[in-house]
Amino acid sequence: MAADLKFAKTHEWIRHEGDGLATVGISAYAVEALTDLVFMQLPQVGRKVKAGESIGEIESVKAVSDFYAPVSGEIVEVNAAVPNALETLGQDPYGAGWLVKIRPENPAELDALLDQAAYDASVKAGH
Amino acid sequence: MAANPVPIWWDDPADAFTNMAADELLAAEADRRGGLVVRLYGWSPASVSLGAFQEIAVARGRPEIAGLPLVRRPSGGGAIVHGSDLTYAAAIPRTHPWAAAAQPLYDAFHAALVAELAHRGIAARQHRRGGVDERDGRFLCFDRRAEGDVVVSPAGSGPSPDDPKILGSAQRRLAGVVPQHGSLLLRAAAAGDHPGLLDLHPQAVPAPRTLVASWLERVAQACGSPVAWQPRGFRVGRDAEVAAAAVRFREARWLERR
Repeated sequence: MAADLKFAKTHEWIRHEGDGLATVGISAYAVEALTDLVFMQLPQVGRKVKAGESIGEIESVKAVSDFYAPVSGEIVEVNAAVPNALETLGQDPYGAGWLVKIRPENPAELDALLDQAAYDASVKAGH
Repeated sequence: MAANPVPIWWDDPADAFTNMAADELLAAEADRRGGLVVRLYGWSPASVSLGAFQEIAVARGRPEIAGLPLVRRPSGGGAIVHGSDLTYAAAIPRTHPWAAAAQPLYDAFHAALVAELAHRGIAARQHRRGGVDERDGRFLCFDRRAEGDVVVSPAGSGPSPDDPKILGSAQRRLAGVVPQHGSLLLRAAAAGDHPGLLDLHPQAVPAPRTLVASWLERVAQACGSPVAWQPRGFRVGRDAEVAAAAVRFREARWLERR
């Protein structure tokens, strides 16, 4: 994983891109836990979201899981290629498997998220 | 694990939208109580519940379910023709040991049913997938075989790969709570070629209600808790909340989301 990522306890990663946008995806741990993926629904571009709000759903053979906005802001882009190539999530979860780009309304919210070590510890503790 | 009792409510049958709404409220109840909660219910009128992302056009093109009310579940999986089944809904908070991954909650209910059926001399087992299954994309849930689904050998028969499925469940994993519901097929449904448990073993299951009670007591034992059978149904006293929650399930934009 890249050192520039922050993580939500709900297993989303976020990378501040420095152009006022942040890229969001789901962690390799979460993708592996989902197992065989069946379908994904991404949010609409233009939607304003709050941190912790469900912004999409992924169906696997195991369950339907929601994924959440790690920060508040506006969805400015979605990775429309991923729902048609779900294997990308497993192959490159932190690169080509990105899901949405958000314009954060409060960049300080990123500071409250977990760094890699804290996220790894959270996963290990079963959260 | 916590020793708090597991509350179990047995509701009267209701329509599809009411049932999905009550399940949603049950999930909130698990979050509030901090433990496993369960409710049981039937469906009236007979209805079809679709998995979260099954295509509505496909459903509407299936002649065997024409005329039956359709509702979309928040959980995934295949379509279920309800009416001759008993549905259970359960929910646990994400802090529950069974919430760490998807399979433990499935296994809790499915393994308990297998054990209860074995106690009654019925050869049941949990299906084990070897990988991708050619039945995966089938329309009806009971035509599919997910990991851990309960299958039963007909009376007098040994185990076979074609043994019918009598219990399947589907889960939705949310940030704070994990709701799951499942269909125990008691009798053949109005559509699909799926015999129910009572069709396969009529002599061994003289009192389905007793079987269900024993089954759920095994589930509660598995998490170290006694059962607390509730004197009234879950929906009793919650009419307004259920009706409000049912609105979204009635909306075309939910049913036709895919």
